[in-house]
Amino acid sequence: MEYDLEIVALRKKYGGFTAVDDVSLRVGKGQFVCLLGPSGCGKTTTLRCVAGLEEPDEGDILIGGRNVTQDPPWERDIAMMFQDFALFPHMTVEKQVGFGLEMRKWPALKRDKRVAEVLKAFEIDRFANRKPGSLSGGQRQRVALARAMITEPRLLLLDEPIGALDYSLRETVMIELKTLQRRTGISFIWVTHDQNEAFSLGDLVVVMNHAKIEQQGTPEEILQRPRTPFVAGFVQGNNVFHGKVEDVRGAEARIGTASGSFVVPVLDLKPQPGQAASFSVRAERLRPAPPEGWPNRLATSCRTVEYFGSVRRYILERPDGEVMKLDQFGAEPAFLMAEGAAEIGWPTEAGVLHG
Amino acid sequence: MSTIRPRSLPAYLLALPAGLWMFGAVVMPALLILWVSLWGGTAFGPGNPITLANYERFFANASYRGLIANTFLHTLMLMAITGVLGYGIAYFLVMKVRSRAWRTALFLAFIIPFWTSALIRAIAWVPFLGVNGVINQALMGLGITERPIEIFLYSRTGISMAQVSLYTLMASGPVVYMLAQIPPSLREAAMTLKAPPGVVFRRVIFPLTLPGVVIGQVLVFLSVMADFATVQWIGGNKIALLPNLILNFYEGAQLRAAAVVSVVLMACMLVGTFIAMRVVDIRKLGT
Repeated sequence: MEYDLEIVALRKKYGGFTAVDDVSLRVGKGQFVCLLGPSGCGKTTTLRCVAGLEEPDEGDILIGGRNVTQDPPWERDIAMMFQDFALFPHMTVEKQVGFGLEMRKWPALKRDKRVAEVLKAFEIDRFANRKPGSLSGGQRQRVALARAMITEPRLLLLDEPIGALDYSLRETVMIELKTLQRRTGISFIWVTHDQNEAFSLGDLVVVMNHAKIEQQGTPEEILQRPRTPFVAGFVQGNNVFHGKVEDVRGAEARIGTASGSFVVPVLDLKPQPGQAASFSVRAERLRPAPPEGWPNRLATSCRTVEYFGSVRRYILERPDGEVMKLDQFGAEPAFLMAEGAAEIGWPTEAGVLHG
Repeated sequence: MSTIRPRSLPAYLLALPAGLWMFGAVVMPALLILWVSLWGGTAFGPGNPITLANYERFFANASYRGLIANTFLHTLMLMAITGVLGYGIAYFLVMKVRSRAWRTALFLAFIIPFWTSALIRAIAWVPFLGVNGVINQALMGLGITERPIEIFLYSRTGISMAQVSLYTLMASGPVVYMLAQIPPSLREAAMTLKAPPGVVFRRVIFPLTLPGVVIGQVLVFLSVMADFATVQWIGGNKIALLPNLILNFYEGAQLRAAAVVSVVLMACMLVGTFIAMRVVDIRKLGT
């Protein structure tokens, strides 16, 4: 199996601060990979190491099977899109987009032809002779993308590429980028702190925290089966419980927490009584007035209700003071009132044990 | 955002004090000098006839024409040296010194000497360059030369050495400013587009600092063209450039001739500045 990118045990320190710690990652041919995490989690540093803009302290980076760890950026088969787009203010759009081909010593005629094609394809041919200063955010984004894509690199590295765009533009641009990635077969490594971007775009999502990879997998794997309390808490809509394993009976374990004890499926794990454990329940699996048969129930008080159209979200307070969320279909009539006591519960199979 | 609209009465009133000052301190004297340079006759007063004879006499003298060429050549050489040195210093300070504290310290070390007057700094070079000066003592102490080198003081070499130290900051400062404006991501973007460092400099960094380079060059040009003090102190009476000629005529009470040289010098400076402005639009600086 050939990989577009392999990162092996990457480590990068700045003085006493470890920015990337033992990160390993494999990106197959033509994959869309999203590095997701809060700011300062090491995702951008990882990306910059792949680009060659940072020198790793340990570990290897292989692009297309070739070890490039010691190679400078200009010798790597990559292109990069920067958060601020990093357009050259003194070059026209035409010159700018052709820069990569010029550096590869394409003959001028061939280059001009290719630049014209690409400008047309990205619908920026109208601005060919303008400089970036006179373009809108969306137009700049297209120029930056065209400039990076024209050389057809093996890997395109994108550092929060749509973070600088207006909210209304983002969705359109996301769909376009995904289509472009599929069509060209270039692997995209997309760094973002926005989980909507990561889960809707990524074939593979890599969740990072404190310089380490917490979990990697398809969006479905991560959303349905968060492996760590961090991932569960970072992904929207999860309620996380921390506690101790009290008892294991067959396929079910009882976890004691500050808010009471709850039964969760053990899944493929082997929890031992006395062990620290955490689990999560998605907000849409919680129900008010749980039926008699549900072993997991909890007395809460409802603080506020947020209405998003498709979803009605209740912010509940647990007995231990922590906040929980319960989601209801937006089209249904509200089943809880703000500032009222509410007993809620969930079926055993809704709990996801971490590990 | 200012609430004063351009071309409104308050805008003109705000410009008035500075405008009056400039008129009284710059425009009027310049016009007076121009007028004096056109005086015929021998009397000192406003009743003289207007004539170009003073100019004809000045330009008929080959050694004066040579002096103009010499002044230009000397200035161009200074511009080249301070330009290269200044750019190097600016590049080092902004791009190579990573630590903030070090950058501030080095920058201060660089500019603190400029808190003293240019005249004092020019005079301060004399004990450095003299036959028994610091440089010669050091060279002999290190065994590089046996006898003191005499070309330092009272020579073009000495004048140039002093002027390089006096004016490099002027060439460097605007470049520091322009370099600091360039986001690091521009260099990185160029590198990921396969440009090796030399090409990144030539195609991205240098063009973006060009306005700073030109402004620095204009400052050096104007300063060196007008610098009579350094030439006088370090050149002794052996060397003279155009501004020293003004002083000579003035001290010899040849007011008409002094005015003529002043006007010629001003014209040279205007032409140089005009050419520089054709290369780069200073008003676009910082946009």
